[in-house]
Amino acid sequence: MSNASSTSALVVRAPRRNLLPKTLGPAMPALILLFLFFVLPVVSLLLRSVLEPEPGLSNYATLLGSETYLRIFLNTFLVSALVTVLSLLIGFPVAWTLAIMPAHWSRIVFAILLLSMWTNLLARTYAWMVLLQRTGIVNKTLMNLGLIDQPLTLVNNLVGVTIGMVYIMLPFIILPLYGVIRRIDPAILQAASLCGATRWQSLWRVLVPLAAPGMAAGALMVFVMSLGYFVTPALLGGTSNMMLAELIAQFVQSLVNWGMGSAAAFVLLVVTLALYALQLKLFGTSQMGGR
Amino acid sequence: MKKTAILAALAATLAITSMAKAEDMVFTSWGGTTQDAQKAAWADKFAAESGVNVLMDGPTDYGKLKAMVEAKGVTWDVVDVEGDYAVQAGAQGLLEPLDFKVIDKTKLDPRFVTDYSVGSFYYSFVIGCNKDAVAECPKTWADLFDTAKFPGKRTFYKWSAPGVIEAALLADGVTPDKLYPLDLDRAFKKLDTIKSDIIWWSGGAQSQQLLASAEAPFGSFWNGRLTALAADGMTVETSWEQNITAADSLVVPKGAKNKEAAMKFIALASSAQAQADMATATGYAPTNTDSPALMDAKIAGTLPDKQTASQVNADMNYWAQHRDEIGTRWYAWQAK
Repeated sequence: MSNASSTSALVVRAPRRNLLPKTLGPAMPALILLFLFFVLPVVSLLLRSVLEPEPGLSNYATLLGSETYLRIFLNTFLVSALVTVLSLLIGFPVAWTLAIMPAHWSRIVFAILLLSMWTNLLARTYAWMVLLQRTGIVNKTLMNLGLIDQPLTLVNNLVGVTIGMVYIMLPFIILPLYGVIRRIDPAILQAASLCGATRWQSLWRVLVPLAAPGMAAGALMVFVMSLGYFVTPALLGGTSNMMLAELIAQFVQSLVNWGMGSAAAFVLLVVTLALYALQLKLFGTSQMGGR
Repeated sequence: MKKTAILAALAATLAITSMAKAEDMVFTSWGGTTQDAQKAAWADKFAAESGVNVLMDGPTDYGKLKAMVEAKGVTWDVVDVEGDYAVQAGAQGLLEPLDFKVIDKTKLDPRFVTDYSVGSFYYSFVIGCNKDAVAECPKTWADLFDTAKFPGKRTFYKWSAPGVIEAALLADGVTPDKLYPLDLDRAFKKLDTIKSDIIWWSGGAQSQQLLASAEAPFGSFWNGRLTALAADGMTVETSWEQNITAADSLVVPKGAKNKEAAMKFIALASSAQAQADMATATGYAPTNTDSPALMDAKIAGTLPDKQTASQVNADMNYWAQHRDEIGTRWYAWQAK
């Protein structure tokens, strides 16, 4: 009996110490998986970009030396920036409202947000295609209201891509922002108004600075995700505002030019990693996801 | 005892699975209604006749095909590819030469036969127009490129493939016999004049949607897609004037595991009846010259070769040789 009880006492005490990993052991399965299916392919990608069709940096020279490809890079950044700014502008009021709403209401809004996030991306993008086309509901409504005479061109261009992508990115900015705003003590805002701040001043001089880390984290996440986006730009965009992911797909699938495809993919990877490093440097890991 | 039974059962299962494996083959195409029709007209029939189970895969991806051949892990046995790609891939050593002792090519349309491929089906790029949406329909390629006479959006095939370059040159007044070698500078200059009025379609279903919704009331379409819209009751006007033919091909990737079954599959798929069934189901044209006689006369009448208007055959060999060059330029032009 005494033997058994001492064992159980050991068992009770032991876990705390044992749970702290001293080695990478517990992370090994994940690390091995990452190595096999991420690191190795990335290395082979890099190799292809400098070895095909012949050894050298010719692929990178072509990529960075061509006006067309530079335009695609520039457009990728432009669209990503536009999407990020609009997502912030729309997402901030939503996150703020969610944070101060009664819980039963905010639960409903959250359910709507998450449901839209869980719906198949392709289906959502197709839905926008139908809504935004010349004979779609948006144009028909505007024309029936007498606001426009001619249907607006809302798809196959920058407008379509921006609308579609902002819609898809919104949850990714609302969720981290919500977390940050929730943690702001409402007493601070009360204090601000007691000290004579107008609503506008409390917003700009108190709430926004306090929420800034969450905004920055969310914005960077949306920006980085947008950089590599494929489906939405491919379906809602026109060919003249092509994004990088489409160019890569074109090189790999249509032109079967893997050297160029790898080079473009590698440039995208480097840019993404650089932005990620910037995020870590500016906000540390604690702000990832806004917690 | 129990252990032995389990082992025996395991061994039996393994034997069955490996047997099933040996009797399987994989057919890869572009998905959608086209592949459904290919399954019904070819694969199901082949499975019933030969006992070989035909698994469907897709969509066709040239990058994937090349990767499989290079890695010597080919899981596709028969692949439906574009005609110009078939010629190029054959020359690059990515394909198995076809066994014409098994496949009877005497009845196959010679326009679409090479050492490495036979025609899967063929189609024409024609001018389609939604008659309910516009007062007048463009009749020629020149009309389709004339934004003054026919204002509004028009739709063209998005990918670099035989068709649009040819249409631009014909619209600019090049005669069919002088089309090749393609004058790319001239073609792109002509395309520049309507670029902002082009909506690109990337797949057949999208082209139908664009036309039916009048998002683009006219454009260049695969003939079969217009036949299907007309069958659905839409008032479509089709102009066959200088219709441009191009084809899909059936090929066997180098190192395919079930080469023998693949050759037999192609033999059946290119046979007169199978080609007739496929054409009836899709509105695309059969590549077997005996097929039209087996088809309903009314449907056979809608085939490209039955039209009295002039026809232009896209030169697959020219395209195969210049595929990469044209493609690079095409996509760069689009992105401008």
